[in-house]
Parts: sequence; C-alpha cells; structure tokens
Amino acid sequence: MKKRIDWGYLASLAAAVVLALLVGAGIMLLTGHDPLEAYRELVKGATGCSSWADLLHLFTKRQFGNTIEYAMVLFLTGLACAIGARVGIFNVGGEGQLYLGAIVSAYIGVLLAGKSPWLAIPAAALGAMAIGGFYAWIPGVLKVKLKVNEVITTIMMNTIAIYLCAYLSSGPWKTTQPNRVSGTETLAENLRFSRLIPGSNLTGAIFASAVIAFLIWYVMAKTTKGYEMKLIGDNPRFAKFSGLKVDRTIIGAMAISGAICGLVGMFEVYGLKGNYQDGISNEYYFDGLLVAMIMRYRPVGIICMSFAFAFLKVGAMGMELNAGVPGELYRIIQSVIIFFLAAQSGVKAILEGKKKGGGKNG
Amino acid sequence: MGSIFTAGLFRQMLRSATPVALAALGGSMTEHAGIMNIGMDGMILIGAFTAVAVSIATGSAFLGTLAAILVGILLGLFFALFVVKFKSDEFIIGTALNIFAGGLTTFLLWAIFDVRGTVRTTVGLPTVDLGIIGKIPFLGQIISGNSLFIYLTVALVFIMWAFVYRTPVGFWIRAAGEHPGTLRTAGISPEKMKWLSSVICGAFCGLAGAQLALGNVTMFSEGMSNSRGYVAFACVIFGGANPQKAYLAALMFGFFDALGYRLQEYHISANLTSMIPYVITVCMMVYVVVRSNRRKPVTA
Repeated sequence: MKKRIDWGYLASLAAAVVLALLVGAGIMLLTGHDPLEAYRELVKGATGCSSWADLLHLFTKRQFGNTIEYAMVLFLTGLACAIGARVGIFNVGGEGQLYLGAIVSAYIGVLLAGKSPWLAIPAAALGAMAIGGFYAWIPGVLKVKLKVNEVITTIMMNTIAIYLCAYLSSGPWKTTQPNRVSGTETLAENLRFSRLIPGSNLTGAIFASAVIAFLIWYVMAKTTKGYEMKLIGDNPRFAKFSGLKVDRTIIGAMAISGAICGLVGMFEVYGLKGNYQDGISNEYYFDGLLVAMIMRYRPVGIICMSFAFAFLKVGAMGMELNAGVPGELYRIIQSVIIFFLAAQSGVKAILEGKKKGGGKNG
Repeated sequence: MGSIFTAGLFRQMLRSATPVALAALGGSMTEHAGIMNIGMDGMILIGAFTAVAVSIATGSAFLGTLAAILVGILLGLFFALFVVKFKSDEFIIGTALNIFAGGLTTFLLWAIFDVRGTVRTTVGLPTVDLGIIGKIPFLGQIISGNSLFIYLTVALVFIMWAFVYRTPVGFWIRAAGEHPGTLRTAGISPEKMKWLSSVICGAFCGLAGAQLALGNVTMFSEGMSNSRGYVAFACVIFGGANPQKAYLAALMFGFFDALGYRLQEYHISANLTSMIPYVITVCMMVYVVVRSNRRKPVTA
C-alpha cells in the first residue's frame, strides 16, 4: 500500500512555490516595481481584506468570492485533465470544449426563454456536456483507433472551436440588441444562478461543482473503475491482456473530460456573464492543466492547489490595478513552479544515480 | 475560379508558410533525435517578441533577428536541460514553456512598452527583387519581391536535408533517436546529440519568430504565434522529419491560410475562413497516420 500523502513531494512543491515567488519578485525588481508592495496588493486583491481584523468579514468580500469561483473553474478543468491523464491521454483541448459548452448552453437558454428554469437549466447543462464530450470524443477516437497524436489534434480543435464560436456569436446566434458587435442574447433573469456573495462571481454553481469534484475523486480513488483506469494509464498492454476494455475506457475518459469542460463553459454563462461573449475563457483550461500537472494528476491535490492558484490569479488582478504590475505575472509564476519541480526531481535522480555509482549520465 | 487563384494568393501562401516551415525545420532535428518538441510555439512567440523589442531598441531588423536566434538558442538549451539532463516529461515541459512564453511576452509588452495587445516597429526585413525573373508573367509576380527569409528558408531546407542525411553529425542525431545504445557503443554520446538538436531547433524557432514579426508584418502582438508551433509539429510528423516534406506540408498550411484570406473578399466571415488551415492540419495528421499504419504490418 502506497502512503497516502507524499510528504517529500509536498516539501519540494513548497520549495518550488517559494522559489517561483522569488523569481516573480526578481522580474518585478528588474522592471522597476516594488515586489513587497505588489505581493501585499496581491493578497488584498484575492481576499478583499486589508488587515488581520478584516479577515472576520472574509466571507462577505467580493474578491474572496471571485477567488473561490476561480478555484471552482480550476479544479473542474484540472480534474477534467486528470481523468484523461490517468488513462494516458492528454486532453489539451479543454479550452475549445469549454467554449462550445458555453455557446451551446447560451443558445439553449435563448431557445427555452420563458420556459421553467427547471426545464431550461438541466437542458442547457446537458447540452453543454454533450457538445463538450462529443468534441473531446473525436480526438479520443482518433488516438485510440488510428494512433493520431491527441495533443496536436486537441490544440488545433481549440483554435477551430474558438473561431466557430466567434462566427456563431457574431452571425447566426447574435443578439438582436442594437449596438452589439457580438455575443448571444442575454439570458432571462430567472435562468441565472444566484450570487452567493453579492457583487462577486461566486454563484450556486459552486455546489454542483463540489458534488462533481467529490464524484470524480470517489470514482478515481475508491472504485474498481478508478483502479482499472490507473492500470490502463500505467501499462495499457498489460491491462489489455488482463481483459480490461482499454480502448473504450480511454475514449470514455476523454468524453467525460470534455463534458466537464463543456459544463464549466455553461457555469460561466449562467453564473458570471449572462450570455455567451467572445473571450469567455481566458485560457482557463490551461491554468487548470498546469494545476493538474503540478499535482501529478492526483484529485485531492488538484482540488487543494486550485485554491492556491485561484488566490494567485485573482490576487494578480488586484496587483495589476493597485500596484501597476501586469497581472500576467501569475502565469509566469505558475509555469516557473513546474520548471523548479522538474529540476528538483531531475537533480535528485542524477544525485541518486551518482550515489549508486551506476551508469554515467550525459 | 480563376479569380481566386491569383498571384497574390500564392505570395500570401509563401508568407504564411515560411514561419511554420522554419520552425518545422528545427522540429525535424529534435524529432530525429527522439524528442517530442511541443514547446516550439512558445519559442516562436518569445523569438517574435525579442525580434521586435531589439529592432525597436537598435533600429535594425537584422540585429532583432540575430537576437531572436540567440534567445532561441538559449530556449533550446533550457529545453534540453530539462528534457535531456533532468529526463523530465517532454509534454509537461513543452506545455509549461508555451504557457510561460505567453505570460512572459504579455508581461514584458506592458512592462517595457507600456501597451497591451500590440507594439509596432518601423523597421522590417528587406524584400528581394529578382530582377528579370520578376518580369515572367504570374510566376515572376509570385517569386520575386518577397521578404528575404522566404528565399533563405528554401535554401535552408536543402542545407538541413544535406546536414541530416549527408553529414556524420546528422547521422549521429538520427541514431540518437533510433538506436541510442548503438551510438553510445560507437563512442558518441546520444545525450550530446539531443542537446545539439534542441539548440538547432531553438535557433530555428527564434528565426521563425523573427520572420513572423519582422518579415510578414512589422509588429508584435499578444499570442501572435497562434498555434503555429503546433502546426509546425504537425508538419514534422507529416513529413516524417524529412526537411523537404516538412516544407511542403508547411506550404500546404500556407496555401489554406492564404485561401482563407482570399475568401474573405467574397464576404465569407473571417471567423469561418480562419478555421480552414487548422481543419486541414487535423485532416493532414489523420491522413499521414492512417497511411503509415497501412504500410506497417499490424502488430498487437
């Protein structure tokens, strides 16, 4: 039985995060910003609290709501990535699946305007999941049946989906409101998710997301299916000879991964925006993908890390606004964490190799 | 139909194809050395930014290009450090590199030039007038008066072909990917060949970025590589890492990209026409894989 928490990994993760924040500080110094002030604004931007006493009112802060909302996006997309990675297929196309889910759910909401929300919302959610799942199913089949590299196909399909959505939202599905260049019709008020913290992005979608995250963790960690997925990911040939339905599981995992991404798109429309707009996801999926990679596709780790990364991202907006440091810094910090983690494990492996006196490296 | 296939269409084809082709030439090297280089898109993006930033600072497009190549080499070293030395997952490092490139260039665009979106430069790479050849009807209009690197790329295709298939180092790079054990027995380090291939790839991606930003246009805009690094990777796969075939694949991408621009003049939505080259790239990937599966005898 493997130990449940890999403390050694958590230690190197902590070191990598600290180093990445230092790199961020270094970049700020080089570009003439004050890193201490910037990071203070980052914390303020993510929590909405400017003093310790303020923390008592944390749960009423708009910024804190935004952080939790983005954590939701991150853990859903991160888990979507992990489901694929667990069986050895990398869904890099979550961005496109998210866009399609968003626009299809928005359009369903327009079609079912005036109908009961009990009909319209489930229909929109199903529609979003169906289109996202279908769009991920295609590269899944291509990979399994024809051995076409899924990374390239999913990346290309991202670009295709984003152009397609831009076409629909500025063409056939465009709002009839005057003075709008693009975007679908705004949804009826009774279809919108209610906001848990007024003024923030946090909506009731968080409850559905929590249930989904729990289910994914449960299936992956506690059921036979989850164990089979791991076997398939670790050694597909062995799994095939053991009688597992390898092809079907991989394609299925891909479709579920896409369905979750589609649903995230629906949450953005029914929660935040109220209609489909271009740029509805600013590379959200890639943020989730990074979280999943950093936590080595472990569900619990992904869920925890999502909050930390959401903190960083939402905080970075406050930092941009109040300290004048471009918010893109958070993306640099995120990717640098990966580099440090890879470097640590690489150096460790080289040192261990030397200790054993084994084969020469490089 | 005649009115669609103008000389302008084919000129645009060359313009669109060249950055992809340059990156694909570099990608052919890493592919031969057995490295899956997903990080080319980020390298192109950083190359494009460097080219524009340095050309603004120095007023010289050539210095900008040189700087882009140097930065590309550094990125190649960086990539090899992880993939070869640390034996990290190529996919993870490549993806992280692409995300890093997007963040870094957008950050620096604001930090250095105080703008979001786009920065323009006044200098660009020169165009070459082929003199008498330019007088040939149609063909002359296509091949004369293009940006310098469009010609250079054609030369590089043959140089790289000769390098890979006709020199000892090229042979070693191929051996590093196919039979590293044998190469080591022969006294040559496969790791060194992987480092070399990664550096060459970085230099080409830097050059691709420079051509994109200073040859095709004279500006840098956020995310301007627009998945071209991945398209280049697809071209490498399509051409079986053979430089000429990869170049032809890049020309095909360029053709459909140009066709997309052309169709916009027929009042077809730009969003629809922009999809065409990417749809073609997917089809191209599927086609080449299906074809190679058919050739190989089926193994369980």
